[in-house]
Parts: sequence; structure tokens; C-alpha cells
Amino acid sequence: MVRAIKGSLIKCDPSIKALIVDIDSKRHDIIIEELDDTNLLVSTDKIQFIKAELERILSKNAYNAMEAEEAEKQK
Amino acid sequence: MSSYLFKDTVNEYLENLPYSMKSKLFKSPATCLAIYRLLPNLAKFYIMSMVFHEKPVNSRIWDVWVKDSDQGKKLEVEGLRRMKSLNLITEKNNYLVLDEHFRESFRNALVGNDSHHAFGVPCATDENNKTSIDFLDEFATKKWESILHFMVGTELDELPSVGVLSLLKHSGLMEINGDITKRNLTSVNITKEGFSFLLQDVNAQIWTLLLEYLKIAETLNMDSVDVLNFIFMLGSLELGKDYSLEALSETQIKMLEDLRDYGLVYQRKASSKRFYPTRLATTLTSDSTTLRSVSSAMNKAIRSAKQDNEKDVKEEEAQVDFVSGTIIVETNFKLYCYATSPLQIAILNLFVHLKSRFSNLVTGQITRESIQRALKSGIASDQIIAYLEVNAHPQMKKLAQAALNKKIEFESVNGMKASHLSLRNLEIVPSNIVDQIKLWQLELDRIQAFGGYLFKDFKGEVEYKGLLNYAEEIGVLLYKDNANRKFFVTDEGRQQLIDYASRRTKRQKKS
Repeated sequence: MVRAIKGSLIKCDPSIKALIVDIDSKRHDIIIEELDDTNLLVSTDKIQFIKAELERILSKNAYNAMEAEEAEKQK
Repeated sequence: MSSYLFKDTVNEYLENLPYSMKSKLFKSPATCLAIYRLLPNLAKFYIMSMVFHEKPVNSRIWDVWVKDSDQGKKLEVEGLRRMKSLNLITEKNNYLVLDEHFRESFRNALVGNDSHHAFGVPCATDENNKTSIDFLDEFATKKWESILHFMVGTELDELPSVGVLSLLKHSGLMEINGDITKRNLTSVNITKEGFSFLLQDVNAQIWTLLLEYLKIAETLNMDSVDVLNFIFMLGSLELGKDYSLEALSETQIKMLEDLRDYGLVYQRKASSKRFYPTRLATTLTSDSTTLRSVSSAMNKAIRSAKQDNEKDVKEEEAQVDFVSGTIIVETNFKLYCYATSPLQIAILNLFVHLKSRFSNLVTGQITRESIQRALKSGIASDQIIAYLEVNAHPQMKKLAQAALNKKIEFESVNGMKASHLSLRNLEIVPSNIVDQIKLWQLELDRIQAFGGYLFKDFKGEVEYKGLLNYAEEIGVLLYKDNANRKFFVTDEGRQQLIDYASRRTKRQKKS
């Protein structure tokens, strides 16, 4: 029988998808189905949470020129 | 570039007016002149060729004036479209007719048969204490900048007037809570539109506000034709002259009060029988490059007033250039800006991490944080880049020009085609900065999310294909996976798809 599952389709890079899978691995309430490398089905009310989490993780990796300069000065 | 933006909005507004309104507008010579000024150059030429030619013109003779190329055709089509949508011309069997009202008024404007006082009535008597241009500039700058300062959130001694506040609120440029009429504001927040408003040049800003004013005026039962006529008339008045209120209608006199608050006109007293247009008003419809900022216009005016008349015109131009561009961006994301106006500094502060301020210079750094903060509050990366380009220091422009020349030379020496390199390839802001700002914007929307439904577990290929094709046809399909027989449709698509499926099963049962 055909089934229709409610949710939100997320399109993103494979790297971002990996991050979302990683976020989900701790809570298991985000991803409904992994479709392929760039598409994911997630529950709609978790989208904001995903965005915030991604932002948090990604900004860890960003090089902050101002901070680097401050650190250098302190040396 | 932003000046084109405003022209589009004014034109759009005019184009969307019903013909009855337009024909009323065409009765005023000043308005006709203003409309003419806003047209593209080719359209101006066409109008000119028709004004003194009573009979309809065969549209084919205009083709002669256009080079037979794609670009030429495009210009011609665009020019004709604009004139048609403004109802300036009508077409009948390939013959074009200029609107009668427009022809008459525009002729009046050109040859000076002005019986309507459309260009304002200068005061016959001299005022005892005459108002100087310098004073008007100062007045206009003060009024206008106080509005902008209010928007960027600078602490002000005095809030803008009630009219300004409600205009900002209605136009959606600011979110203002509290009692406006009592000036008792509880909270004031700038909106996304407000941010992009700030980055435009002054002329575009004024037009944005005036168009919003028009919308409000309509709800207040003010005659929009009167309001528009007055705005366009202001554009053709002379700076530094005083004009009499006599020729104005009641609506227009009411408007004066509001325009005074924006700094477009000056009256010594509210009851005064004369008014002075300021520089903000007289440049409304001018076609040449608009003043980049009021303060630069002021500096220019002051300089040229001080300068001896005998001095080189060139030197004056150089100085004008100097005040028009003040920002230097280095490839290491450091930014220097020769700014004394707190307003310009406040605007820069929207997307630059400012570090230190000197008497005529601020320095800062473009950082990921500062840009993303701006992006989150609604400024587009393109707007930031455009702002940096428009306000770039002349030295930056020179450097970019030199680099481009070298590139062209290099390519032509090596036998490559250099024709694709033109002024458009001029990189005023270092390309790595431009790219990085764009990348930072992309970073903010890493994922795209669509609400909807995933269909799966189909019985067979036939059922899958049938539904998939239907979803594709009605344009609700967002994703499909043929190998696993799954597809995803939008929220709206689900019901349509279910209806289709049940219709199909019914049909199958019947047959």
C-alpha cells in the first residue's frame, strides 16, 4: 500500500548531511529517512533546531581574524 | 546603480496609475518635464521627434535610428514599452500617436508658454533677510540626517516629528511601538527594508519616502494628482529662490508642512507666505549623477563658494571626486574610511567591525561576524558590495582601472580576444573580499528545507510512474528516487495527488 509520510525535505551538501546525521545520532528524533547523499527527510518542527546546531558547529571551525589578532597581541 | 533602482520605483508607480489619473497629470507642464527626464535616452529622443509633429508617425522610421543589432533592438523595444505603459504614445496600425495632453503641456514647458504657474510663482517682493543657499543646505542636511540618525539608532536630542515617525512606520522601514502622536515611544526597531533603505543614495531614499507618502496621502483623501504635481514641480524649481504659496492648492499647502519635516522645503515660519526648495528637492528628477550624500553636496557647495572663480574647473572636479569616495578596502579585509559624519560611520558600523576613530578617519575590519550580523538583519551581500563600490576612494578606482588595463594589454599581446573585458570587469573592491562576503552569505543558508510529504511503498512500477508523472505535470514534485520508488511533493500537492489516485482507482474498477 502506498504511504505518504509528512515531513520536510532538506537539500544540502553531503558534508552538511553528514553533520545532520551526526546531530541525529545522539537524539534519534530528527531524521525520518535518509534519502541519498544530498536529500534528507526530517520532521518539520526540528528545522529551526537543525539550523541553530549547524550554525554552532560551523562557527567553531571558522577562523576569526579579530580574535587571532588579539591573541597575538597578548603574546 | 542605486539611482536606477529609484527610477524604477517611480516609473513603476507612474505606470500603474490608471489612465484617467495620468491624463490629469499630463496637464501640468512641470510634471511632463519630470516624466520626460525619467525616460531612457532613446525614448527621450522619440518624444522629441514627435512633440512638434502633429501627425501620427510610422513606427518604422524609428528603426532607422537604431543600429541593427540585438542590443539596439532591445533598447528600442524597452523605450517603446516604457512610453506605452506610461500612456505617452498609442499605437494604431503601426502608426504612433503622442498623447494630446502630454504634447500640449510638454510644448508649454519647452517653449515657455506657461499659464499654469506649473513651475512655481517666484515671490515678487524681496524678503528682508534673504535665505542663502548655504543656509538651505545646512537646513536640509540637518533635517534629513536627523531622520537617518533616528533610523540607525543614534541618540538624538529631539525625536523626528510625528509625520516622519508615522511615515517610517507605515512604510515598514521601522518598527515603532508606542504612541506616535504623543511621541511616547516604547520601542524602536529598524527592519530589513530599513537597512537596505539606508544603503541607497539620498535621492533614492527621498523617492522611497515620497512614494510612501503618496500611499498615505491617498488614504487621507488627499488628491494624488495634486501631490504628484507638487513633487514634480519641486524638482524643477531653482535652488536659493523663494516661491510664493499663492499658486498652490490646499492639499499642496498641507503638504508643505510635511515636506518641511523631511528637509525638502524651508519656510522661515509656519505661517510664512513663501517657501524655499532645498537641494534635496531640486535634484529630485535630475538625470545626472545624483548627490551621493547631503554632506558631500554641502562640502562641494562650500568649497566652490570659497574657490576663486578663476580657478581651474578641473581642480574643482578633482575635489568633487575626492568627497564622493571615501572608503578603502584592502585585500586583508581591513577597511579605512575618511568620514567625519557620524551618520556614515553609523552606517559602516552596520557591517564592519570598527576599531578606531581619528579626526577624519575610521578604521575597521570586515569580519565573518560583522557581515553575518548584517546579513541576519536583512542587508543583502550584494548591497554591501555595492555600497563599498559606490563609495570607494578614487585611488581604489584608479588602481582597479590600471589593473584592468594591464589585463587587456596582456591578453592582446598574447593574441587573445580582449573584447569581453570592459568596464564591467572593473574590480574596485578586491575580488577576494567580494567572494568572501558572498560565501559568508551562502554559509548562512546551508540547507534548503521544504515542507511536504514523502510517498513510498508503491505496489509496482505502473502505480509509481503514474503518480510520479502526474506530480511532475502539476509541478509539485521536489524529489524523486526511481530506484527505490519514492518521491516527495509539496504540502499543496498532496491533496491533488490523493484525489488523482482515487479517481484512477475508481476508473480502474469500472473498466
